[in-house]
Amino acid sequence: MKLVKLKIVNFGQFSNFTVELPNSHLNAFYGVNEAGKSTIVAFIKQILFGFHLAKHASDFFEDYKPLAHVSPMGGALFFKDDQQNDYELERLYVSGRGSKIGTLIVKRNNQVVPENIFFDQIKNIDGDFYADSFIFNQDMLGKIDKIQQSDLLEHIYYLGAANSDKLIDLRNDFAKKASNLFKKAGTVPPLNRLLKELQEKRINVNKAENEFIIYQNLAKEYTNLQEQQNAYEEDLFDLQKEYSQLERLENLIPSYRELLELKDQVKPVNFDEKKYHVAQTLALKIQNLQENKENLQQRIDQLGKVADIAPESKRILQERPELLQWQSEYKNCKQEEYRLQEDQQELLAISPELNKIANFNQAEVINLQRDYQKLPSIDQVSEKGEAQNHNFLFLGIFLIILGLILFVTNSKIFGGLILITAILPIGWQQKQQREQRVAKVNEAHNVNAIKQQHEVFYQKYGLSSTQLDLTGLLSAWRQLQLQKQKKATIIQQEAELLGKMQHLADQISKKLGVPVEYNFSAVSEALNQLEEKIAKINHYSEVKADLQSNLIENNELLAKTNALLQTELTQAQVENMTEYANQQVKNEQQTALKIKIDLLNNNLNSDIAKLKELTQNAQAFTDQLTTLAQKIAKEQKQISASQNKIAEIKVKMATLASSTAVFSAQQELANTQAQFKNLSAEYLSNLSAAKWISQALNLASNERFPKMLITAQEYLQLLTNNRYNDIQIEKKLAVNRYDGKKIKVQYLSRGTSEQLYFALKLAFIEQIKDQINMPILIDDSFVNFDEQRTEQITQLLNKVAQSNQVLIFTAQANLATKLQRQPLTFTRGN
Amino acid sequence: MKFIHLADAHLDSPFLGLSFLPSNSFTQIHQAPNESLTQIVNVAIKEKVDLVLIAGDTFDSPRPNPSSQLFFASEVERLTKAKIQVVMIFGNHDHMQKTDLLVPDSPYFKLLGNSEKIETINRQTDSGFKYSVTGFSYLNNHITIDKVAAFPAKNANYNFGIMHAQEKSGKSNQNVYAPFNLTELKELNYDYFALGHIHLRQILSEKPLIAYSGNIQGRHINEKGAKGCYFGEIDERTKETKISFLQTSPIIWQQVDIKLNAPISPTDLQKKILTVTKAKATTYYSLQINGAEFLNEKERDLIQDSQFWQMISSKLDYNSQLVDIRFSSNSQLEVASNDLTYFNQAKKDVFDKNNFLAFCKDWVQKDEFASQLIEDENFLQEVVQLTEVELNNKLKGISDEIS
Repeated sequence: MKLVKLKIVNFGQFSNFTVELPNSHLNAFYGVNEAGKSTIVAFIKQILFGFHLAKHASDFFEDYKPLAHVSPMGGALFFKDDQQNDYELERLYVSGRGSKIGTLIVKRNNQVVPENIFFDQIKNIDGDFYADSFIFNQDMLGKIDKIQQSDLLEHIYYLGAANSDKLIDLRNDFAKKASNLFKKAGTVPPLNRLLKELQEKRINVNKAENEFIIYQNLAKEYTNLQEQQNAYEEDLFDLQKEYSQLERLENLIPSYRELLELKDQVKPVNFDEKKYHVAQTLALKIQNLQENKENLQQRIDQLGKVADIAPESKRILQERPELLQWQSEYKNCKQEEYRLQEDQQELLAISPELNKIANFNQAEVINLQRDYQKLPSIDQVSEKGEAQNHNFLFLGIFLIILGLILFVTNSKIFGGLILITAILPIGWQQKQQREQRVAKVNEAHNVNAIKQQHEVFYQKYGLSSTQLDLTGLLSAWRQLQLQKQKKATIIQQEAELLGKMQHLADQISKKLGVPVEYNFSAVSEALNQLEEKIAKINHYSEVKADLQSNLIENNELLAKTNALLQTELTQAQVENMTEYANQQVKNEQQTALKIKIDLLNNNLNSDIAKLKELTQNAQAFTDQLTTLAQKIAKEQKQISASQNKIAEIKVKMATLASSTAVFSAQQELANTQAQFKNLSAEYLSNLSAAKWISQALNLASNERFPKMLITAQEYLQLLTNNRYNDIQIEKKLAVNRYDGKKIKVQYLSRGTSEQLYFALKLAFIEQIKDQINMPILIDDSFVNFDEQRTEQITQLLNKVAQSNQVLIFTAQANLATKLQRQPLTFTRGN
Repeated sequence: MKFIHLADAHLDSPFLGLSFLPSNSFTQIHQAPNESLTQIVNVAIKEKVDLVLIAGDTFDSPRPNPSSQLFFASEVERLTKAKIQVVMIFGNHDHMQKTDLLVPDSPYFKLLGNSEKIETINRQTDSGFKYSVTGFSYLNNHITIDKVAAFPAKNANYNFGIMHAQEKSGKSNQNVYAPFNLTELKELNYDYFALGHIHLRQILSEKPLIAYSGNIQGRHINEKGAKGCYFGEIDERTKETKISFLQTSPIIWQQVDIKLNAPISPTDLQKKILTVTKAKATTYYSLQINGAEFLNEKERDLIQDSQFWQMISSKLDYNSQLVDIRFSSNSQLEVASNDLTYFNQAKKDVFDKNNFLAFCKDWVQKDEFASQLIEDENFLQEVVQLTEVELNNKLKGISDEIS
């Protein structure tokens, strides 16, 4: 669109003011300050987009009141498009009527058309868009540092996708969300916080991982300590060994002292053990011989006493045969006696009455015979009694005879006894006879009592007179008496034999010196003993002879040995064996001493030198012991300390061995990483979404924005003479200087920043010109430009004016000249 | 001969994005890599394998927790006591000195190639089958040179190679993990090449066998599926080798998707989620909601909340958890049809790598983790999807407002 004419009805200080624009490219308006340059700019903008009568403030240049009291207010703009169509836009506001933005009438080629016929040509931009994009003045230039990418983008994208404003909002939302999550230099956003946390967690992991080093170091230290401990223990062992060595030496001192004492006791001894042994043997032999001698003598003496007994005894021994004879005879007698005894008893058994008269002597038998015969009817009784009395008488006689014989021949005593005995039967016979005679007198006197006489008989003799065979009885009695006589003879004989035997026994008893019993066997035995005794005595005699011969030999040997011993003693220079033995004892003592010394020497052996030294310097020795003890104590302390340390390390190692610190720290790190990852995904997705929308809008707007940036850079280079060559529009605007230094817009000089503004805005206009081509209004914008800059901007404007119409309003006359245009000069009020 | 190949145990490594879990679940997670390793050792002992190859990154850090070291040492000891040869290398995470290891000396344990020197050991099995293992350990976190050229030529034994490395790629900043050329590695013609570093289990070559065993326990949603080790069996006569995967990880990560075509009520949404999260083992789910633009911001905030996840988790079997929800857009942007072309083009432009990097620069430069994320395709995709969802949702608002 090219502006060809503007017609002001009433606007500001202008009324009924019309300006023709001669040039479709560049027009310069010259007017002093307050001449109404800015009012023209405002007029163009407000006719297009509406008046600013409302109370709300406008960003710039419209912030003054129009001539409200002048009505109608407004005017018209006349455009020509590329197709040479004419457009007339008339906007009027009648005070109190209609919209305060005024009423717009659009005519195309003098035909009233709907306003969009015109506005479609400029993509229905609004007043802000127009002012932002096409109007340059001091106020706008001053806001260069507020230019944001979004503002530029918004305007550019406006030309692209549908709902671009919403998309831009959405994009901004995403960008904002992203920015809330992460800021490059922030500390508060969650991702920034997580970043910090990551660092901390890593440090923790590192610390935890140090446990390994710590463990290794502990293990190393453990080994070292163990080695050190071993060394200590070895040292201690050595010290203790040394100590015990010294202690041992100390203990040896008594032995050493003893050794010294013993050595003092050593004396030389001239003593021959062999010779002593010889002498000893000799002495012993002498002793034996002496003893033997005494023994022999003693035995000889003993034997000498028993030798006298012999001659008489031998004679007694010779009586042995006689004894045997006596014994045999005695035995025969005994047998005879026994036989007689039996015969007697046999007799008594045959004739029981015999018993009654067996002991009657001759006289009594005769009495019996007589009594029997005196019996009246039966005489036999008297006869018998007489016979019996006779028998007693006979016995008495016999006994007298026998007694006499014995008295004469053999034994007076025995014979005497028998004689006395013989008187008894005779006496008995006398008495019987007297009684019988009494009885016969009595019988004779008593005629009537024959029977009584028989009774008396019976009473007297115990014999029944009626049945008595007196003859037979008397015969038996005589037989019995005979036997009794024989028996008495034999007994006499026996007594004689016994007497001989007893005599012999007495003799033997005398010889043996012991009582001998009076019986044959005892005597015979005693004889044997006597015989043995005699044999013994004989033997002893022989022995004694031997002994005596031995004694002689012994004595000879004794003398010889004594001589030999004497020689030995002389040789040994001793008086006697006792002295010699003393010498031997002494010798033994010395030998024992030597052994002891040897033993001690042996025991002490290697230590003797040291012991000598020690005993000589006892104090040094004590000191040495003390020092050693101290060293040992110190070593033990060290060991104990080291053991404690080892134990501590072991505990630490055990603690570490069960620690899961690394895993925990790593897990914590991992958790933070997970959070970071999730949040980063959100951040990146928001960021990407914003970028995505931006890119879509870019593409939709035919990538005008990047293209615009390139153009702006070109323009800036042009305007700054290559002093600045790069523009960065993100959140804040910045430029790169020729030397690569990035400078934020607020630090640029006023002139440079205005150049930048021009570069950007003109580049933008360049970019949208195919869609929106409107006149560029430059209202006194070069006041801060020096000569050179003015030159440069002029060049650029000339270039831009090739596509967009440029209207320059200036109070600088020389600028107008420079533009090589005839300026449209107007003054205030016209 | 039998062997086990494992790598990237990353003992003591953290799990990403699970901080909201209750502490007992967390203990389980912490123990998971340990349990997986124990499981591997159990198998090795049970199967009486001859060799266990550990291809680096056993520990997550060159200065691991002593407790992890001791745990590892005890597991190795179980193997060595069973007279199982263990050959281990260090990776870029546990770039350490041999002396840093707390594993007790044993003829059955070998830290191969200390200080980045290529080393070969020769051993034989009880049956007398001879084998060699060649490899190297990291001392620094980066190895920029290609080590394959320095590997010795194959010898008469069965040849194992072991390496913690990454295939060469165009981006030079990624060629810092002993970059190798697969063709050259194949040309070495080792019988089995055990690789570590890449957590995704994969067989790079069948003949000769070159394989990554992957890590033994997934640690985040991008380490999906069963994890464990390779179990190898060698025909001692022909040297023919067969490997099979053994799952030992106690926790499985899995991604599931639901699709929305229209706005949905919370109850229906919950039902829909439960139909796709039927676990057969302890599983950690990441849920992708396609068509998230049908959820308004409030709804999205609600279901992004861990309380909602725990509510879902409480209805899952095997102590499984819903641990992540991602949104993606399902429909065209609602803009004027004339402008759609511009928007589509703008998307391409915005997410063009360089362009994206340029406008993320401030963020990227702030932290190393950010620069790691920007390299992570998964993350970028997540960002793209989220952007789409958010933009689409907002555009809907605009179009609703206008119409």
